[in-house]
Amino acid sequence: MQKNALHILLADDDEDDRLFFKDAFEEVRVQTKVTFVHDGLQLMEHLMTPDIKLPDILFLDLNMPKKTGKECLIEIKKTEHLKNIIIAIYSTSSSEEDIEDTFIEGANIYIKKPSDFNTLKKIINEVVTLNWHYHTSGLNRDNFLLRLK
Amino acid sequence: MKLFPKFNSSNSLRVIFVIAVFILLFLSSLGYKHNQDLNASSKVAMHTYEINIQLERLMSAIKDAETGQRGYIITRNSRFLSPYIYSRDKVNTSFITLKKLTADNPVQQENLRRLFKLIIQRFTSFENCFKYSDPKTYDKRKLDNHMFGGRILMENIRFQVDKMNDIEKKYLDRRLKIYDQEISLSPVFSISLFLAALLFILLAYRQISKDIQRLKVFNKKLLISSRLMSESESIGKFSTWQWDLDTQKIDYSDNQYRLLGVRPNAFVPVQETFLDFVHPDDKEAIAASMEEIVTKKHLPFIYYKVLRADREIRYFKSTGKLLTDKQGSKILLGINFDITDEHLLNIELQERNDELEKSNKELASFNHVASHDLQEPLRKIQTFISRIPEAEKAGMSDSAKDYLYKIEVSAKRMRVLIDDLLLFSRTNTTKKEFIKSNLNELAENAKSELLEIIDEKRAVITVSKLPKLSVIPYQIEQLFINLIGNSLKYSRPDTIPEIHIESEKINSSDYPGLLDQNTRKFHKITFKDNGMGFDPQFKETIFVLFQRLHSKTDYPGTGIGLAICKKITDNHKGYITADSTPDKGSEFTVFLPE
Repeated sequence: MQKNALHILLADDDEDDRLFFKDAFEEVRVQTKVTFVHDGLQLMEHLMTPDIKLPDILFLDLNMPKKTGKECLIEIKKTEHLKNIIIAIYSTSSSEEDIEDTFIEGANIYIKKPSDFNTLKKIINEVVTLNWHYHTSGLNRDNFLLRLK
Repeated sequence: MKLFPKFNSSNSLRVIFVIAVFILLFLSSLGYKHNQDLNASSKVAMHTYEINIQLERLMSAIKDAETGQRGYIITRNSRFLSPYIYSRDKVNTSFITLKKLTADNPVQQENLRRLFKLIIQRFTSFENCFKYSDPKTYDKRKLDNHMFGGRILMENIRFQVDKMNDIEKKYLDRRLKIYDQEISLSPVFSISLFLAALLFILLAYRQISKDIQRLKVFNKKLLISSRLMSESESIGKFSTWQWDLDTQKIDYSDNQYRLLGVRPNAFVPVQETFLDFVHPDDKEAIAASMEEIVTKKHLPFIYYKVLRADREIRYFKSTGKLLTDKQGSKILLGINFDITDEHLLNIELQERNDELEKSNKELASFNHVASHDLQEPLRKIQTFISRIPEAEKAGMSDSAKDYLYKIEVSAKRMRVLIDDLLLFSRTNTTKKEFIKSNLNELAENAKSELLEIIDEKRAVITVSKLPKLSVIPYQIEQLFINLIGNSLKYSRPDTIPEIHIESEKINSSDYPGLLDQNTRKFHKITFKDNGMGFDPQFKETIFVLFQRLHSKTDYPGTGIGLAICKKITDNHKGYITADSTPDKGSEFTVFLPE
């Protein structure tokens, strides 16, 4: 692993989804280091571990046991040294309510889990190559939900 | 409050009556006085005649004495002396009688005294005549003197008697004259008084009969309104009561007794038992309310339970008012409504409402299940299929390839179904925010949403000027998407699709069977296409969920799109209708209230 590899953290309780995610990252050209946590509680423990290298992008599933993605999001944004982590919501749900809530709580992008592996690869490619500085400064309700061109 | 019409006539009647009574009293006292006068006059006349008779008797006694004396002097026969002797007694008797009769008249007494003196002188003269006619003491000159003197005395007596008679007669005449005067005045006077009294009585009679007539009319009205009141009380399940605070008399209407579960007038309501029927739970509050009426003069509605004698609980709604009449007496008025039926209905409604809320919540959680949990395995199926590399697919048998393809198609269809179903239920459950929106803008949004298929089919869509309405914008946009999408989907293969959207303002009265007549104006928006159309017999059923007119192999679809349209127009208190001529085109009409 190279030192300048992109640190990716995926919080998802679904084993299959983690598998898809892992496979997809392996096929992406960008150098990445992917870490997985299985639920919200584990996620928060991981982030709170002293001297840990914080992820560059956190992919956060909403529907997780023990602590939901939304709760984690709120907690992260309240914690001083975590609040600048880029958070990509990664959920099956596409309900207006979930999108609206996570936007308000400060997530950076909302990704609806695709039902096609190729699409997933495209999404991941898009997200890891995104100019976050540019994206975040121009963030609004319309471009919050990721749509592939 | 004016309960009864005023009868002013009762006062004037009283005046007339008093006047008539006074006139009659006056008349009868007048009659009595006349009678008295008549009596007095006849007494006076009697008195006069009596005096007259006594005087004549006196006169004749003296004359008898004179005659006797003469006879004796001539004949010296003592038999002639007897009248003379008796005459003295007669004179005395008459004199005493006369003295009594004239006791009230000093003038006549004086005259009588003079007369008596004259008579005594006359009798002295008789004695002297006897003396000088006696042969023993005969003296012709003295006899002559005395005889002559007697003669003069007799004339004086006669004169005196006449004088007295005259006085009496004059007195009588005067009395009779006064009486005549009075009696001649009174007949005209009393007859006119009598006529006046009669007139007054007639007036009073007229007034009375008029009043009676009016009373009859009002009585009838009162009777009708009291019947009406009692009928409406029993139909409307309410009752009234009055409580006279001065006399502490309480009156219940008949229905009050019935509402309390007893027969009318089954007991006499009194203050102490007034709250007996109130359920123990509410007694304190009601007692406080009763106090409140007296201080505040009226009472807002109070709700409480009533416990009937048969232990049945009824629900009452009551109000009260304090009335003060002109005389200052205070009357409490109360109205009770038996709202038990409504109350029970309300409870039932509340229960149903709770049930509905519960089932709504269940529906919402079903939505969540559908949106997340059902999609997850489906998404995985699709992802796993997509992970099978093309190279490996090529090595499969034809039937395996076919099955794999069919799995993929079914999964896709299932996704569409779930998405549409979610859309449908969200149309109902998501919050409905009405925002004033330009429908032309929403139509443009819908067109850009459908840009791909519009371009593909080279469809022509014209949108005339649409109104600005207060709507749920994303739903109306969905409505446009679904209707335009529907027309594009069912276009004729060999024809360029044309869709014309037009709008006009209409009165609900123009569509009586269809539109809600309480909303006067509607906007009618028509979507007309030149597609394949459908059999008009299905124009109602196409809006029903999962109803499809075509097989899904010909036209993929879920049968939810038009049901969503229907739901959206329902949400806007509007309507949607469809009509069509097969192979010519369809027309969808949306009515939205202004």
